[in-house]
Amino acid sequence: MSRWSPYDLNGGTCIAIGGEGYCIVAASTRLSTGFSILTADKSMILEVNDKCLIASAGFDGDRSQLHKVLTFRSENYEHFHKKPMSCPAMAQMLGNTLYYKRFFPYYTFNLCAGLDDQGRGCVYTYDAIGSHERVGYSCQGSGKDLVQPVLDNQLKAPSILELPPKVAVTSLSQAEAIETVKIAFSAASERDIYTGDAVEIFILTPEHGVQKEILPLRRD
Amino acid sequence: MIPHCQLPSHIATGPHVSPFVSHNEAGAPYGDHRSEDVHVPANPASVPFAVAPSTDKGEVAMGEPRKHTTTPYVTGNSVLAIKYKDGVLMACDMLGAYGSTKRYKSVQRIIRVNDTTIVGASGEISDFQYISNLLEELMTQDFCYDDGCTMTPSEIHAYLCRVMYNRRNKMDPLWNSLVVAGVDKNGKEGNKSFIGSVGMLGTSYTDSHVATSFGNYLSRPLFREFQRDDMSLEEAVSLMQEALRVLFYRDKTSINKFVLAKVDGEGVAISKPFALDTKWDFKAFMNPSKHAVGSW
Amino acid sequence: MAVSSWRMDVPGLDGKCGQASRAAADLALGQDALLTNAEVTQANFPLPAVQNLDHFGKKVEDLVKPDHGTTTLGFIFKNGVIIAVDSRASQGSYVSSQTVKKVIEINPYLLGTMAGGAADCAFWQRNLGMQCRMFELKNKKRITVCAASKMLANTMYSYKGMGLSMGSMVAGWDPSGPAIYYVDSDGQRTKGTIFSVGSGSLYAYGVLDQGYKWDMDIETAVELGQRAIYHAQFRDAVSGGTCSVYHITQSGWVKLRGNNHYDLHYQYYPDGHATSANSVI
Repeated sequence: MSRWSPYDLNGGTCIAIGGEGYCIVAASTRLSTGFSILTADKSMILEVNDKCLIASAGFDGDRSQLHKVLTFRSENYEHFHKKPMSCPAMAQMLGNTLYYKRFFPYYTFNLCAGLDDQGRGCVYTYDAIGSHERVGYSCQGSGKDLVQPVLDNQLKAPSILELPPKVAVTSLSQAEAIETVKIAFSAASERDIYTGDAVEIFILTPEHGVQKEILPLRRD
Repeated sequence: MIPHCQLPSHIATGPHVSPFVSHNEAGAPYGDHRSEDVHVPANPASVPFAVAPSTDKGEVAMGEPRKHTTTPYVTGNSVLAIKYKDGVLMACDMLGAYGSTKRYKSVQRIIRVNDTTIVGASGEISDFQYISNLLEELMTQDFCYDDGCTMTPSEIHAYLCRVMYNRRNKMDPLWNSLVVAGVDKNGKEGNKSFIGSVGMLGTSYTDSHVATSFGNYLSRPLFREFQRDDMSLEEAVSLMQEALRVLFYRDKTSINKFVLAKVDGEGVAISKPFALDTKWDFKAFMNPSKHAVGSW
Repeated sequence: MAVSSWRMDVPGLDGKCGQASRAAADLALGQDALLTNAEVTQANFPLPAVQNLDHFGKKVEDLVKPDHGTTTLGFIFKNGVIIAVDSRASQGSYVSSQTVKKVIEINPYLLGTMAGGAADCAFWQRNLGMQCRMFELKNKKRITVCAASKMLANTMYSYKGMGLSMGSMVAGWDPSGPAIYYVDSDGQRTKGTIFSVGSGSLYAYGVLDQGYKWDMDIETAVELGQRAIYHAQFRDAVSGGTCSVYHITQSGWVKLRGNNHYDLHYQYYPDGHATSANSVI
């Protein structure tokens, strides 16, 4: 008799890259449980506003709940403050929201990414209980062990902790960054059974707002 | 042919079934799953069955939830649903299994929620009856508001997702996989078909075709191959029948007594129970031990 | 008024509109929320409906593998306080970050360090930062290291047995001089002059105890802290990344060092390390 657990792992990989004047957020669309695929077309990216997106891998039930809660709070914020929530503000709130479920965590692995007040790309990466950090690029989900080393290889910049300070921003152009994301996903779909079918790629720029692109992946 | 499934003579059998009965003008607003055969589920403890569905004493992973459904008792199996040109089709058999015993054979697992939505369930029958009550209350509210608005299939799906997720948060899950299907008439560019599914943990998705439990393995591949959103009703019905037949051949806890439901712009129609033609008289089946020398 | 007032000021954080402004109103009324903070906050953390919370917590931890922090140290000497930390976070055997900021800047005179669960440390020390600020506003003077560390210890004690994981040093300078307190998630709180916390702490202690002298000059002390962290990063698999060193004096803290482990290695051992695999005897 299988024992009941309140958690499941539905797979999926997400990547975010922030650069000078752009931010890219991408996530695969396959939803799986165990060795079965439930659907090939489920988005795991929440568009909070045109400056901030949240991508979450992990357990689908918790993801929908989390996205609903965050949508509600960001709408509330807009009514209170008469402006959309900034990406850094959203990032802190996501951290708190996750931590307030410390004893019964949301089994989700998040990226909060978008553009900051200066129009620069910003990416925040999280663990399941709200520990977070601002980084230049990151990846989460079932394919992270495959993708993160590739991103490190292509994008790694000196640590912001270094003294004297060094430039800690990726020097990739927008087109190069998009290409890197696409390559990373097609590589992940070769070797990770939970990544495949398609990947949604969101491109945020101060000039054009949010643009969306879909790249088909392996369907097996 | 199938001795345990004796159907009344007026029930059509075979592939040429189109036995839709519209419930729209009928008095009862729901798929009448309680009236046809009233099964009173016996207290499992008092029934002298040799095989209880579980020997698990309710101990559960991750710190033992208090009491609650930790194993299902009477269960229904696969529910299938596909979109077609004018709407959606949903189908399932009528078995209520007690462990591996075929205990109840006239369980209606597809209910009509309103004029545009039907819900089908696999898993624990009692939990589904509770969910039916919730939906009934919801529709009563909708009726009482009398504002000309009724809930759309996607709204009902969203509601059920919350119900399921909320119960898993309480470590007291409703042991079901639900399928919500219907037609949204409020869209600007005409009627829009909807099929959504939600599991007992709150995992949910929408797609052009959906199948729960065993159907995800047996019927889903057929749907991926043959289902199109613009297929005709006839094509859709025959695809569904094929999927049901495959399920019946391979799923040991299924019976040849099915219900097919349809939602289109006209409303909801749920068929009377019917059986499918099956073929068992293959040569190899005549004398099975002939080709398995050495086995008894 | 049993309304919770002590939380991060994020509108709608607990799903009730206007909670933040109500919290502000409470403060205006002079509600003494300091003492009730822990109890009140607890009510906002939904608990799973299980009989054995501890068991559930452990299972969940296996599942979600929260970030864990690793080597930190702090000591007092003649010219103030030195705090040095590494920057690696791991989830199981996966290195989830090499750039974690393990020194939490509570205010210009107070630092906290991070070992154990990253989220637990970060959240509660941010919370501590707020409590310290409230203390300042109420009492018109800066909080002492003693009082600040006790607030953190009280918070930790109120969650005892619920699975929090934190090993922290609260260090700073107040009217009584420099001070370091070790505070952990069991609720333990100890005053001392030399501490090292985390899985790499034993390696760090080795270097630290060997080189420590009360009357070091600042440069020697900074070097000692950095060296101790370097050796912990070298020997301990779950310590690594960048080594940061802070110095606290009467006029507050400054960050003096931030060096990559790789650079340090070739700074200390330009001709290769005697015990590393590339030397053949």
